[in-house]
Amino acid sequence: MGTITAPDLAATDRAKIDAIVNKFKDRQGALLGILEESQKQNKNSYLSEEVLTYISFKTKVPLSRIYSVVTFYSFFNLKPQGKHNIVVCRGTACHTKGSKALLDDVAVLMGGEKELEGGEPTFTTSDNEFTVRTVACFGQCALAPVVAIDGVIHSNVTTIQMRKLVSKISKGRNLR
Amino acid sequence: MENKNQVNVKINGLAYSVPKGSTILNACKGAGVDVPTLCFLEDVSQNASCGICVVEVKGGKSLIRSCITEVFENMEISTNSIKVREARKMNLELILANHPNDCLNCLRNQNCELQTMAANLGIKEGRFVRTKPMDMLDESSLSITRDPNKCILCKRCVNVCAYTQTVFAIDIVNRGLKSKVAPYMDKGIGNVACTNCGQCALVCPTGAITEVDNTAEVWSDLQNPDKVVLVQTAPAIRVAIGEAMGMEQGALVTGKMVSALRKLGFNKVFDTDFTADLTIMEEGHELIKRLTKGGTLPMITSCSPGWIKFIEHFFPEQLDHLSTCKSPQQMFGSLAKTFYAEKMHIDPRKISVVSIMPCTAKKYEAKRPEMMGAFDFWKEKMNLNEDEKFYDIDHVLTTRELSRMFKEAGINFAGLAEEEFDSPLGASTGAAVLFGATGGVMEAAVRTAYEVVVGKPLPSLDLKVVRGFEGIKEAELDLNGTKVKVAVAHTLKNARTLMEQIEKGESPYHFIEVMTCPGGCLGGGGQPIPTTWAIRQKRADSIYSEDRKKGLRKSHENPEVAALYKDFLKEPLGHLSHELLHTEYTKRGIFV
Repeated sequence: MGTITAPDLAATDRAKIDAIVNKFKDRQGALLGILEESQKQNKNSYLSEEVLTYISFKTKVPLSRIYSVVTFYSFFNLKPQGKHNIVVCRGTACHTKGSKALLDDVAVLMGGEKELEGGEPTFTTSDNEFTVRTVACFGQCALAPVVAIDGVIHSNVTTIQMRKLVSKISKGRNLR
Repeated sequence: MENKNQVNVKINGLAYSVPKGSTILNACKGAGVDVPTLCFLEDVSQNASCGICVVEVKGGKSLIRSCITEVFENMEISTNSIKVREARKMNLELILANHPNDCLNCLRNQNCELQTMAANLGIKEGRFVRTKPMDMLDESSLSITRDPNKCILCKRCVNVCAYTQTVFAIDIVNRGLKSKVAPYMDKGIGNVACTNCGQCALVCPTGAITEVDNTAEVWSDLQNPDKVVLVQTAPAIRVAIGEAMGMEQGALVTGKMVSALRKLGFNKVFDTDFTADLTIMEEGHELIKRLTKGGTLPMITSCSPGWIKFIEHFFPEQLDHLSTCKSPQQMFGSLAKTFYAEKMHIDPRKISVVSIMPCTAKKYEAKRPEMMGAFDFWKEKMNLNEDEKFYDIDHVLTTRELSRMFKEAGINFAGLAEEEFDSPLGASTGAAVLFGATGGVMEAAVRTAYEVVVGKPLPSLDLKVVRGFEGIKEAELDLNGTKVKVAVAHTLKNARTLMEQIEKGESPYHFIEVMTCPGGCLGGGGQPIPTTWAIRQKRADSIYSEDRKKGLRKSHENPEVAALYKDFLKEPLGHLSHELLHTEYTKRGIFV
């Protein structure tokens, strides 16, 4: 490939990604690992366009291919994520036990009804405190409905419980 | 005796011996049994995504996709059992559920594989409703329009872009119902490193990727009494437009095409072949200059605008290798609004130049900011303001668009009498028509360069080694004791191979011809659909027969080109040539 000018990216971010790409050098399937670590080192756990472009520059994987990969796996975030994350299970068992109502309640609490109605599977509050998303199944169907807050799984969750859990971590944040 | 390379199979109850390792689809084809396919496209796409080519195999648990499954000994295949037919129908109905029902308003109406398949499989009702979210039209490109709603996710476009052209402008993004074809970050195809070659539009089975339609602008100019509308036709149109008008594949219809263009209302019908001859004069002298006086070698041709954008994106440090010659389309535009305007006493601002091209990338080329040679020429002479700027070329139509205009005007193309191009931008030699096929620019250049350097004509005018569809062809010429090595590449994948050699400093060549599309312009992204290798071959045969028929077969023998130099340009590579016929390139890089 010809001499192609490197895309714009802050020098500090560049160094981090250089190190990650180096670590995966000559390994098969390196791209997934590189993307995962690059997302992890970002304080808002997401992959910005600048970072993706720089990864393409370093790995020589075409931009379109990288975009294809990051949009296939729901693990990769293309938008900044909130400090806390709330994952509502939308699997069959949780659904029959009312997880849709739970999700709607969280959306109202956080002010993200519009995004969810617009078909987005996820939203982040404007102050970047919370990200709400769904998952197809946690594999904890006996405990339905299940919600994970910052990685901790809560079982048989009701709207009242959910409100309590959320206000506990939101520290005085005004919930509607 | 048993043949190790064959296997015995039964297709619909009849026994056949078929090549080992062949797919069920090819085995059936060889046996003369038709299996319908939709996403499959020979040499391009084998993704088994549509489920139309399913067949039943005895002992199999489920139906099998014949395009990707190999035959085995004693396989018993049924291609049309009730189970197979019902499955095909169901799969097609599911695809159709997410396809807009607007065939009547679609550019691909009556030339759509999905529509044909629905007719062939006997689809009578739409039992399912759309489940996919609607998406926006992508109108960011000057060359290509994408309508993701019409896409059936066959991946032909993704494959041709990635593997025929090594451009990787698009890929499948998202997952499940939201899957779609998109460029990086969904930016719009005009905003990423796309070469505008249009091969994606050429292989698309539906109307999801099409040329940008510029027919309305051309109709409007044709109806404007204040405009003098000139048309030029590229070498590869005369071997393809007949096909688009219902004649046989590869039909050579130069005279009928000229007649039909006059009937549409163009004031003058000129020929890009004229400026192809001129290109040989300029480029040939440029090559001789680089060989004798020093300059970057190998020199590479610059006629193919997809290739130009490719090298600007992917090899931005190697632009010095390009010939500085504008493409024949652009040379024509510059001359029409300077030389011709002056000669005929027409205000250049009143001239509208329309190009008929086999190419979608020409639409982009015409709107490059540097393609205003005529404006710069007249600026001081006519005291023009910057806001009066005009392009050398006003509109570019593909072969497909022109055929739509002919049809709209009710022109009975096949029945037309043959007519001649107008003068003075209409005369051409056999060398010029070769520009339409891979190897043609090289052959034309050699005919002239040999004679200029050696002082006598080539022993044989037919340079067979650079003909044909091999990916990279090479030849060595003896120019008065100087050995000149040349190479010819078509498709950007092959161009990339030659560029990587150049980058490493290992290129043994002095002169390279690159054409973006498979087969050259005759297989261009704006040509009639379908364009298969068999059809490309027929178009190539017609190009070589047109060359043989011409009285003059060497560009420097073109009398109107000679007159142009005598009366206007003075000499190849002269001052005026530089101003009007040569150009410069832009370092773009991939990260645009």
